[in-house]
Amino acid sequence: MKHKGIVFLLFTLSLLLTGCAGKRELNELAIVMAVGIDKGEEGNVRVTAQIPRPSDARGQTGAPSGQTGDAIWSVSAEGKTLFEAIRNLGRFSPRRIFWAHNFIIVINEEFAKTGIQDVIDFFTRNPELRMNTWVAVTPDKAVEVVTTITGLEVIPGEAVDKLLRYSAITSQAPRTTMRNLYSSYLSEGSDPVLTRVRLVEKGVSNEDPGKMNVKQVELAGAGVFKKDKLIGILEGDEVRGLIPFIERLESVILSVSCPNDKSENVSLELRHQNFKIIPGYEDGKPTFHVKLVTYSSIAEADCPISLKDKKQVDEMEKELEELLYNDIKKIVDKVKKDYHADILRLGEEFNNKYPSEWKQLKADWKERLQDAKIDIVVDAKIKNSVLLYNPTKSN
Amino acid sequence: MPDELELKLTSTFTFDIESNISLIREILGHSVDLVQRDFIFHQEKQIRGVLFYTDGLIDKEEINKALKTLINCSDEILSSCIGDRMGDELTKNIKTYLLNNVSVNQSNKVQDAIDGILSGDTAIIIDRTEQVIILSSRGADARSIEEPQTEQVVRGPRDGFTENIRTNTALVRRRIRDPQFRVESMKIGKKSKTDVNIAYLKGTVKEGLVEEVKKRLARIEIDAVIDSGYIEELIEDAPFSPFTTVQSTERPDKVASYIFEGRVAIFVDNSPFVLTAPAYFWQFLQASDDYYSRYMSGTFFRLMRYIAFIISLTLPSLYVLLISFHQEMIPTPLALTIASGREVIPFPVLLEALIMEISFELMREAGLRMPKPVGQAVSIVGSLVIGQAAVQAGVVSPFMVIIVALTGIASFAIPNYGASFSIRLIRFPLLIASGTLGLLGFASMFTIIAIHALSLRSFGESYLAPATPFKPSDQKDFLIRMPWWRMDTNAQLAEGEQYRLGEHQVPSPPPKGVDKEGDKGQKPPEKKKSDNENNPPSSKQSLVKIRRKKRKWGKKDET
Repeated sequence: MKHKGIVFLLFTLSLLLTGCAGKRELNELAIVMAVGIDKGEEGNVRVTAQIPRPSDARGQTGAPSGQTGDAIWSVSAEGKTLFEAIRNLGRFSPRRIFWAHNFIIVINEEFAKTGIQDVIDFFTRNPELRMNTWVAVTPDKAVEVVTTITGLEVIPGEAVDKLLRYSAITSQAPRTTMRNLYSSYLSEGSDPVLTRVRLVEKGVSNEDPGKMNVKQVELAGAGVFKKDKLIGILEGDEVRGLIPFIERLESVILSVSCPNDKSENVSLELRHQNFKIIPGYEDGKPTFHVKLVTYSSIAEADCPISLKDKKQVDEMEKELEELLYNDIKKIVDKVKKDYHADILRLGEEFNNKYPSEWKQLKADWKERLQDAKIDIVVDAKIKNSVLLYNPTKSN
Repeated sequence: MPDELELKLTSTFTFDIESNISLIREILGHSVDLVQRDFIFHQEKQIRGVLFYTDGLIDKEEINKALKTLINCSDEILSSCIGDRMGDELTKNIKTYLLNNVSVNQSNKVQDAIDGILSGDTAIIIDRTEQVIILSSRGADARSIEEPQTEQVVRGPRDGFTENIRTNTALVRRRIRDPQFRVESMKIGKKSKTDVNIAYLKGTVKEGLVEEVKKRLARIEIDAVIDSGYIEELIEDAPFSPFTTVQSTERPDKVASYIFEGRVAIFVDNSPFVLTAPAYFWQFLQASDDYYSRYMSGTFFRLMRYIAFIISLTLPSLYVLLISFHQEMIPTPLALTIASGREVIPFPVLLEALIMEISFELMREAGLRMPKPVGQAVSIVGSLVIGQAAVQAGVVSPFMVIIVALTGIASFAIPNYGASFSIRLIRFPLLIASGTLGLLGFASMFTIIAIHALSLRSFGESYLAPATPFKPSDQKDFLIRMPWWRMDTNAQLAEGEQYRLGEHQVPSPPPKGVDKEGDKGQKPPEKKKSDNENNPPSSKQSLVKIRRKKRKWGKKDET
């Protein structure tokens, strides 16, 4: 028993020997909420980190501090490589820079055009970084996007995070995380697309409500990449055709003209979609059959319509189908003709169905894609008029 | 000197009353509470008698009654006794005459007389006989039966054990009117000579358990036993463990139900805490309320207690390891909130946690020991200082206060005080390990504790049963409390009868129609039954089937 006691004592004492190795407490960390990556001087990389000051970011009632300054503190540093720039941040930061809570990585388009391989590598290699961080490109300076305080949220990073998280209803930009970027970058059958954000003066000023001069971050389409280089921009409305290929088209509002009065509009909300890509292989050429079935409901009608009237409904469905068809067609054409980058992930679909044929085609897949036959079928159904079954009209 | 005393104690009485009296006086001295009453047993034959008893331990009424009988009937008693040395004959007669009063023993050993006097009996010494009559006249003042202080229930019996061992056994006996219920007596403590009773249900108690308990009790050599805590520490299986392997309780209903489950209860005189063994770890988390309130609420509150157990064991350690090592595991908004609270705190989180834990324990201890009115002041000052001022002064973070308060509340939700204390003890090594090594330290310390708990045995039973080793039929009363009509088998620990319930115990209203007629009393019950048999409701039939199946499955292997 005495022996056991000594062993136990030694064991307990050995805990003290660690000296709490690796211990760093939450309040000794500079928690990064957003990162901006710009081109620096002389081919350098400029990294901007947005760090909240906890006591100002959170109205702390008990502690004798807080509410004295800005909620965030931003630091910017340059370096030959991304890692060097990040290490250089340490020159300014009294606390250790901590990356695990990073919400978003914003990359300047000029920088992205020269390739973002280093970004992908660094942010996936480092164990402290999370794969579900949003990644976006911006035509503005990333520094500005990262440090602009937007209206509702105290911390800009959080604001952009929520903007992307609840952006499904606008379908103005794809929602891309580090994981998406990484997988589409690594995959032979696809190329990355990234969310695009920009600063616009759209916020209404509190002092002078007539002016809209407050800067806001806005979702503005997508950046198209070939391998790791930015090659093109899709504007907000063009993205609608892209979204079904990479995520789900949810809750989009589309307006069609009224069946009986072409000057008025009916707004339709896409509630549910069924999207299928069926790859085929004919005479050494890949073919794709793209089928989109959507179910929508009437969100707003400027003219009296009823779902009972089959003719009216058919007319609206036809217009909606045309609208969606054009959206998809436009993006498919752009991919085939302009980009030569497979952002629609058609290669992956093909690989899944024809793995052995894929091995022969993958080497020059981008060229094959140009003359691949892609036919699009859209079937739109208007199923629901929500609470009003009969049209609203006077009398 | 002790040898001399020993010699006197082991000697026997003589026929000479004077020497007998002086012998007792020499042994017991002239204590003020030792009462000697001389009386003339028989006037004509000039036979003297002396009574010895301890004041305060006896019932005076009893002694007076006995004395009256003795003197009034002295002629009859003496009628068959001739000569100077009457001896056995006399005492035998006295015994028969006194029997209408109380229990009477006779002995010629000094030891017996002394033991009797000291435990509240009366020793009657009559001239010309070497036999001493020991009259049972115990009647010390005792606390009446009150509600148990440490284990309160909302619904259930309110009586608790007292300091009187006989009252205690009676409280249990009232709940077990089985002829097989046995209470055996022992005396432990060289000087205190404390009564210890072992109670069990013969035929139900685990085989060999009573013998083992007796063996362990007989092994004890100690001068005095003041409380059952002494006995607990001297018979438990794991003296070096923070876990208690013997349960102590103030509730007779608990003891009775444990005895029905095949356990042994150990009563110790002068202690309102009765020990039961063997003990499983989980039973410390089970309250009597679970069984008395309906099964749904019983199960719910039991689950709450399991949660409380986990919280009180791990919450501070998890908080410390998250804050000081694994910040990435905290959701971002929460991380910011915690960081803002910790902004001005001068201590590392481990130290902060230790300070708070210790001040909480201090407050609890101070509130407990103080007289009640002062205790309140302690808790007010404590809560103000710890809860309010410490946060405002920036010494501890508000989050830490929440964590410690939650942990404290959770540890109070554990119904057994001893168990809640041992859980609180284990918390500290866990806290230090996770504060120094993070999740790694927490996991390894937890593993060590788990391995230790797994290796424990309580009187031959695995401490963590019925979880490990898994006992299928005991699951009915482990994480959840099954309704009584489903708890059909006895505890696996218990020997003997396997089923505690009859069949078809699920209550249900009578089938439609039959009820009305039955109410009017127009149809005899036999008729009703046959109706039932002809048209049995399908649901009932299936229920019976389920039960039969279950019985097969739950059968105990006969060994």
